[in-house]
Amino acid sequence: MFDDKKTPLLRVRNLKMHFPIYRGLMKKQVGAVKAVDGISFDIFEGETLGLVGESGCGKSTAGRCVLRLYEVTDGSIELDGQNIAELSGKELRAKRPEMQMIFQDPQASLNPRMTVGSIISEPLVEHRKMTKVERSARVDELMDAVGLARRYADRYPHEFSGGQRQRIGIARALALNPKFIVCDEPIAALDVSIQAQVVNLLEDLQEKYGLTYLFISHDLSMVRHLASRVAVMYLGKLVELGPSETLYTAAQHPYTQALLSAVPHPDPAKAGNINRIILEGDVPSPSNPPQGCNFCTRCPRAIDICHQDEPEWRQIGEDHFAACHLIE
Amino acid sequence: MLNYTLRRLMFTIPTLLLISFIIFLILDLAPNDPTGNLPLTIPPEVREKIRASLGLDAPMFVRYLLWCNQFFINEPLNMLYEGFNWCIGDCENRLRVTSWSTRSPVVDLIIERLPQTLWVIGMSYVVGILIAVPIGVISAYKQYSWFDQAGTFVSMIGFSVPTFFTGVLLIVVFSVMIPNDSWFWLPSIYDTTHVVTGLDSAGEWHFSTLWSNLSFQFRQMLMPVMVLALYNAAQISRFMRASMLDNLSQDYVRTARAKGLKEKTVLLVHVLRNSMIPVVTVIALGVPQIFGGAIITEQIFKVNGLGQLLIVGIQGADIPLVQTLTFLFAVLIVIFNLIADVLYGLLDPRIRYE
Amino acid sequence: MKLKHLMAGALGAALMSTSAIAESHMAQGRDGHVNIIYWQAASILNPYLSGGTKDIEAASLVIEPLARYDEGGALVAWLATEIPTVENGGVSEDLRSITWHITPGLTWSDGTPFTAADVVFTGEYCMDPSGGCQQLAKFDGVESIVAVDDLTVIVNFASAKPFPYGPFVGGQSPIIQAAQFADCMGVAAPTCTDANFNPIGTGPFMVSEFRANDTISMEANPNYRDPSKPAFATLTFKGGGSADASARAVLETGEFDYAWNLQIAPEILDSMEAAGNGTIVSGFGTLVERIMINLTNPSADLGDERSTVAHPHPFLSDIAVRQALSMAIDREFLVEVGYGQAGRPTCNVLPAPAIYASTANDGCLVQDIAGANAMLDAAGWEMGSDGVRAKDGVRLSILYQTSTNAVRQDFQALIKQWWSEIGVETELKNVDAGVFFGGDQSSPDTFQKLFADVEMYANNFDGTDPEAYMGGFVCDKIPSPENAWLGTNMPRYCNPDYDAASAEMAGTADINERARLAKAMNDMMMQDFVIIPLVDRGRVSAHANSLEGVVLNTWDSELWNVADWSRAE
Repeated sequence: MFDDKKTPLLRVRNLKMHFPIYRGLMKKQVGAVKAVDGISFDIFEGETLGLVGESGCGKSTAGRCVLRLYEVTDGSIELDGQNIAELSGKELRAKRPEMQMIFQDPQASLNPRMTVGSIISEPLVEHRKMTKVERSARVDELMDAVGLARRYADRYPHEFSGGQRQRIGIARALALNPKFIVCDEPIAALDVSIQAQVVNLLEDLQEKYGLTYLFISHDLSMVRHLASRVAVMYLGKLVELGPSETLYTAAQHPYTQALLSAVPHPDPAKAGNINRIILEGDVPSPSNPPQGCNFCTRCPRAIDICHQDEPEWRQIGEDHFAACHLIE
Repeated sequence: MLNYTLRRLMFTIPTLLLISFIIFLILDLAPNDPTGNLPLTIPPEVREKIRASLGLDAPMFVRYLLWCNQFFINEPLNMLYEGFNWCIGDCENRLRVTSWSTRSPVVDLIIERLPQTLWVIGMSYVVGILIAVPIGVISAYKQYSWFDQAGTFVSMIGFSVPTFFTGVLLIVVFSVMIPNDSWFWLPSIYDTTHVVTGLDSAGEWHFSTLWSNLSFQFRQMLMPVMVLALYNAAQISRFMRASMLDNLSQDYVRTARAKGLKEKTVLLVHVLRNSMIPVVTVIALGVPQIFGGAIITEQIFKVNGLGQLLIVGIQGADIPLVQTLTFLFAVLIVIFNLIADVLYGLLDPRIRYE
Repeated sequence: MKLKHLMAGALGAALMSTSAIAESHMAQGRDGHVNIIYWQAASILNPYLSGGTKDIEAASLVIEPLARYDEGGALVAWLATEIPTVENGGVSEDLRSITWHITPGLTWSDGTPFTAADVVFTGEYCMDPSGGCQQLAKFDGVESIVAVDDLTVIVNFASAKPFPYGPFVGGQSPIIQAAQFADCMGVAAPTCTDANFNPIGTGPFMVSEFRANDTISMEANPNYRDPSKPAFATLTFKGGGSADASARAVLETGEFDYAWNLQIAPEILDSMEAAGNGTIVSGFGTLVERIMINLTNPSADLGDERSTVAHPHPFLSDIAVRQALSMAIDREFLVEVGYGQAGRPTCNVLPAPAIYASTANDGCLVQDIAGANAMLDAAGWEMGSDGVRAKDGVRLSILYQTSTNAVRQDFQALIKQWWSEIGVETELKNVDAGVFFGGDQSSPDTFQKLFADVEMYANNFDGTDPEAYMGGFVCDKIPSPENAWLGTNMPRYCNPDYDAASAEMAGTADINERARLAKAMNDMMMQDFVIIPLVDRGRVSAHANSLEGVVLNTWDSELWNVADWSRAE
């Protein structure tokens, strides 16, 4: 099923994250929000996997689960052959330096009462035996690496612009030399002019430190630029996964096709030729997904079986996977 | 920040003057009569003479200016004289604000009451905070757990059960039902004349004397402090819980966890420090209440602090006493509002006063 | 502080016992410490600047009058050698002057001699018009006070004063030291904080620390006239809290030795006493809960002449009916229900002091329903088919009013039941106390207007002299529209013999003669059944079982004999 030449850095199998719903006087569990409902994928060392989908589809939850920022309901997450989902608190903390996250909202994700220097150096205090001088040197190094002036180390996050704050977030994530970083919509909250700078910084850092990214975004064109492979998620499940170029040129799943049709084309002359697929209706509630294929309620090409059986996740080409009854 | 503080302080002066006038006006318009509590056998003409001797026959404005003179000029000058022996003007015969019922300077009465009020009410505030913060933190961290439910229940009791009930209940249990030679027995009446000292009657210092005096003080404070602490803890723990919940869901907490920090560090360093910002201001705003005393609790345990002084003053229509006490409370409220604002600025780097 | 006092006291006692072993059991301060709680805290120790009972009684531990009242209401010489009377020449024949002789050898607690000059000064201090003296009424009619020599004082009155025992008598009018208060006359009175908080006195105790509205710490006066008294070396006078809390402190927790004025429900007080730590003591003054009979017709049909002497009452003008109403009442039961140890049944409107109390009417103490029925039968009031007696078309139907008050409503219900057993129909009414006693001319519900057949309330008089009080039931004092209803003779009682006795009393100085007249006046009203006395309401205090010598006195300070208090072995 996978290419033997490469070994995956991260193997995710059947990952589920269900948030229970409690109601009534005795707080009885009456159901669950199935934010992530059985997804499987691999990420290979040094590559960037893009994870795209509409807001609310569970992609951020999936990213957090991968780093076990949530206690996952089911499934395995193997990083370097170690199942993160089953690590004890202490083991997990020891594993943390290898995997980090860059958050969407750089303002909210930085503790407002800590200076930039202490935000960046805190993981070092926790995980590395370093002297104060060594730590301060490392902070300077990291600030250089993300393009922040060293003299800003004593300032508080609110004194920076959005782009600068995201650089702080990146520096913090890099502090412990991680192998793997989840980038949870790192540019969504930034001005367009700043977005490119941050993306370029992420690319430079990946090259320099040999990082592996899981890049979560709803911006398909940015993902196309960054990611070597792309996974598409809908209502807690993956619908399609494939190499970037394949997916963008020959998407198989109707949902992927619909998403891609909405991307503005860089060449307006050609834009007119693209057939925009307008999806009707709302995304169903993840606490009460439809029977059969999750996408069947909005799929323009849905057939009877779509309303009954859940489609199987299978390989449909080289490195190309999808879950749809229509694909033969 | 300094400029801001100074500017605010400058504004407080006219504010307080206005407050003092309004208090005076309210007290003057209120239907009270310092001779109203006297036995019915004292004839009306004698009452009229008593009123005149208290200066009540002068117009209201004159009486207000007289009070202002006594309070804002004579009292500070007297403090300088008594505290530092600096004499400005006629130090011996200065007219101070004088209570009608005791015929003694109001400020001296207040100073006499401060120790027990600060000991009991102040201590209950400290104990309340010490109880409330951990309860608030754990309740929020384990939201909807049995601990949270129990905490909510206890705060509900603290909020809704009046101190005159809890106080009397404790007295019945610890002073009445437990025999008074038992180790668990607690006094129901607070001895305000008790002095905690290591000196015995011969003037020699003994550790055992200090210890017995301290343990007596502890025992007599225990019940009133606990009754009030329950009430204070109920309020502060709810604030603490709400503030913790606000912060627990913030992204920076996730960042802290992603850093691989110990859960204790995440909770106590990241979440608690941020959650304390609003709680600290609430605590600062509550400090004037300590000086206001706790009228009911003081009454139940006979602590006779500032709250009891105020209520006796009100009952006896002792206007100079009530006016001065109320005004001092107003001063404390204004000052602690300022302190709360300044604290907020100091604790939260995002806030800058210009 | 308390500990220090205790130890100092113990030390003092120890020293004394070594020097005079034989007398050690009688030495001052032998019993250590005593704790007194007043639920109203003392503000000041100068009764001339405070009319409050708590202040007067606290001050009575330190400063004393020339004469005071004992527990029976009789005058006893205190700092004077004897009570001046006309017989012993102390009161002049024209009743315009009284001469007091001071006990020789008295000293103040600071060791200086107590002289007539101090007495004169005390009078001048109170009578200074700018001093705001709250006991000025005690000095009513005083023309001058003169010191004849160091031990003799004459008080001159502007007109004849048959009862000249106002100035310097009782806890409200003690003697203060001239030397200490010399600079505190008139407008300066309130500025003498130290003197007002710590007066030098002749009493058994002196102040060691005064905390206004809180606690007074006292120690025995080493210069007290009786070297064996007081038995206690130190005393704490704690104020604050409530009546039930101070009762609890004496009766249940045992923290205090004496608690003052416990106005709480009798059953609660009894259950506290059952704890076995202390004893409830009660003393009785002149406060009597009574039913006033309306001898005039309150019918609304009479318009402006309603409840005036122009129209006698259709059936209450019959003495047989009034007597039957009184006989039907079980006064013991009323006491039990309403007041417990704070009350006792009485058959007199003037129940005290002892010399004025008549025993001629005590038959009323036993309820006699059968007798009342027989009396009504004999008077021709025949029982109707509806259980209500009637004669000549007049039914015995009564409107019974009182103020709104839980105990009074209980009394109304009980009395209504008893009256129904003698064929009297009763309609109950209660009026808010503010309106009932308020004297508002426009209200028809005041106790003076008495637009009802009977009404119930309590009344008393200040001090021990009943002249003015009994004088309130003469014909002139009948409330009517003419005097704007400002009268004290609620029953509209008018008896020439009574008026004559009242006039005679106003001109009589001899105490025994005055007592005879007062009793006669009481008996006249009682035997005419115009007032039905119910309960003599008293004062209740409590003391620890280990505290001996407490004699509750309602005529003077409760602490009047504190010098005689001691600790049981």
